[in-house]
Order: sequence, then structure tokens, then C-alpha cells
Amino acid sequence: MPTIHFRTSGRSVDFDEGDDVNMLRAALRHEAGVPFKCASGNCGTDRVLVESGAEHLSAPRKRERELLGPELIAAGYRLACQTYVEGDCIVSWDPEQQPLISERAADALTKKWLSGDAEPGRGDD
Amino acid sequence: MADQEVTEFLDRDAFRAALEQAIKGREAKNAPFSTAWANGELQRHHFARWAENHFHYVGPFADYLGYIYANTPATATDAKDFLLQNMYEEELADVRHTDLLIRFAEAAGTTRERVMDIDNCTAVTKGLQGWCYAVSFREHFAVATAALVVGLESQVPSIYRRQYPVLLEKYGFSEEEAEFFDLHITSDEVHGERGYQIVLDHADTVELQQRCLQLVRHGADMRFSYTKALYDTYVAPELQPA
Ligand code: FES
Repeated sequence: MPTIHFRTSGRSVDFDEGDDVNMLRAALRHEAGVPFKCASGNCGTDRVLVESGAEHLSAPRKRERELLGPELIAAGYRLACQTYVEGDCIVSWDPEQQPLISERAADALTKKWLSGDAEPGRGDD
Repeated sequence: MADQEVTEFLDRDAFRAALEQAIKGREAKNAPFSTAWANGELQRHHFARWAENHFHYVGPFADYLGYIYANTPATATDAKDFLLQNMYEEELADVRHTDLLIRFAEAAGTTRERVMDIDNCTAVTKGLQGWCYAVSFREHFAVATAALVVGLESQVPSIYRRQYPVLLEKYGFSEEEAEFFDLHITSDEVHGERGYQIVLDHADTVELQQRCLQLVRHGADMRFSYTKALYDTYVAPELQPA
């Protein structure tokens, strides 16, 4: 049975052979403590260093490539929310790590509203 | 154990297994429109029709969640926070999700106006939307979360993981045009998981567990029927001999 070992928290999660599982979902379900915020490749809070088993991970997705950039990816970093695992791997992270995008969402929204950029509505049917 | 009646209170593992079982056999990924999509049998105008329907199912998702939010007691802070965050992510955290859907729709050859006009969707789509409103407005918050998040939203990764690669490879959409799908593959993994946790934590009587299972079945049936109706309405007639 393949195993994801979350080294920073000491948790190990097994899954069925032949399955592939979303790394952040597995971490949440088994309380492995990977920090996260957006779950959609926007903040980078859930970046993990892949210590082994990189060959068992899905290829980096568009948002992951854009957010991490080639250097961090080459250094072995992945975003847990964007990554599917199909075999053994070991990952670690800094428990204090912050989002890669530092602007607070509330600040970005305030800026957007103050700029007067009216957006089309989404309808109400 | 499909449709097996629950007569006693289930522990977390047994209840999760029962919820998963309640979707089995009804997964929208197996509806004919989904399989035709995954097999590369559709044409661009079919995606335009899909988007004109899908908008009216997912467009009000934050509205559905808003009703559930209002029905959730202040003591269930974890559930309230999840619902609020899910609403925020749909609408404001990123590109508005319906705008990503409209970006795809335009690439498929339709317009924002056509997509937003409810006259352009099937009666079954309108029924799915109405069911979502009714459940979110009237049911206990754990039951409504089971129906909408476990029954409907948690199916998304398994559907789009089959459909997204063919959009790029077979149908010729760009990553940018098809971003709606890539985004939901991953974000709905986490929404689905957190939805499960809320249902497992807050459906704390036999009656609530029974109702959750019933509405997960109904939700999965609704989504299957919605997807099947797309095939029946837009694809099957083109296959009939003239
Ligand atoms: S949680 Fe924000 S990028 Fe993964």
C-alpha cells in the first residue's frame, strides 16, 4: 500500500494501490497539519518540499507553475492542493510558513472597489 | 449496500462509507454527456450549450450556501466558517468562478448574454437549480451540506479529471480557456473533504444521518439527470437519421 509520509507532523497516510489522491485532501482528512488557505493554487501557503518520491506525483499544474516558478519547482517544492500522489513519498514544510502572495485579500478587494471598476453581475436566476 | 436503510447511529467511519455508497451508481461522470465528452465525441457547440446550462446550476452556489449559513447556529463555528469561505472563494478570492465559466463559454462560441439568460437552459437544469434552493433554504444545515457539498460538489474532481485533459488535447481549448475545470478539480477536493467533516461532526442523530443519506442520493440523482438531459437535448437529436 503506498504511503504519504508528512514528516513535519509525523503523520503517515496509506491509500489503495492504483489510486491517486490529492495531497492536501489526504492531509486534511488525516489531520496531518499541512497549512493551507485557498485550496486553489493562489496563495502558496501549502507548499511542501518533496524529500523523496517526486516521480510518484502528478506534473505541476498551470497555477502551480505560475505561483512557484521554475526555481522552486526545480528545488523540489510543490503545492499540496495542486498535487496528486500515486505512490510513496515524503514531504515536509515550515510549520510557520506564510502565503507566497503577501497582499491581504481584503486589501486587494478594497483597492478593486475603490478603483470603481464595476463588474458585470452574475445574474440572479 | 446501495440505498440500505440506516436504523442505528453510525460511527464516523461507517457513516462516511455510507455517504460514499449513497453516490455510487449515480455518479454524473457516467452520464452519457460526460462519457461522450471524455471519449472526444462532442463538438464545440455542445460545450456552448453545456455552459449555458451549467451557469444556472453553479451560478447561484454562493446563494445556496448563504441560505445554509443563515440556518447554521452560531455554535457551529467550523461549519459557518467553511460556508463563508466557500462563498468567498466562489465570488471574490480569485477570478469570479462564473467568469471563468463564461470565458470557457465564449471560447466555445456562445456569449455572456446567452449564458446568463435562463431561457437558454433545459427544464431539468431549472429543476436542479430549484432543488438546490429548496434544500439549502429548508433543511438542517448538516443535511443541506450533505446534499450540496457531499452529493454534488464532491463529485466534481472525478468528473473534471476525465474531462479537462480532453478539452486541451482533443477539443483544442487552451489552458487559459479551460481554467474553470482545472481550478475546480483541486479546490473541490478540499471543499468536498471539509464538507464530509461537517456532516460527520454535525449529523448527530439517527434521523439526521438518515436524512443526509437520503438527500445525498437525491442530489446525485439530480446531477445525473441534469447531465443526461444535456445529452438527450443537444446530442442525441443530431445522431438521428434525417
Ligand atoms: S492552499 Fe493556497 S495554493 Fe494551495
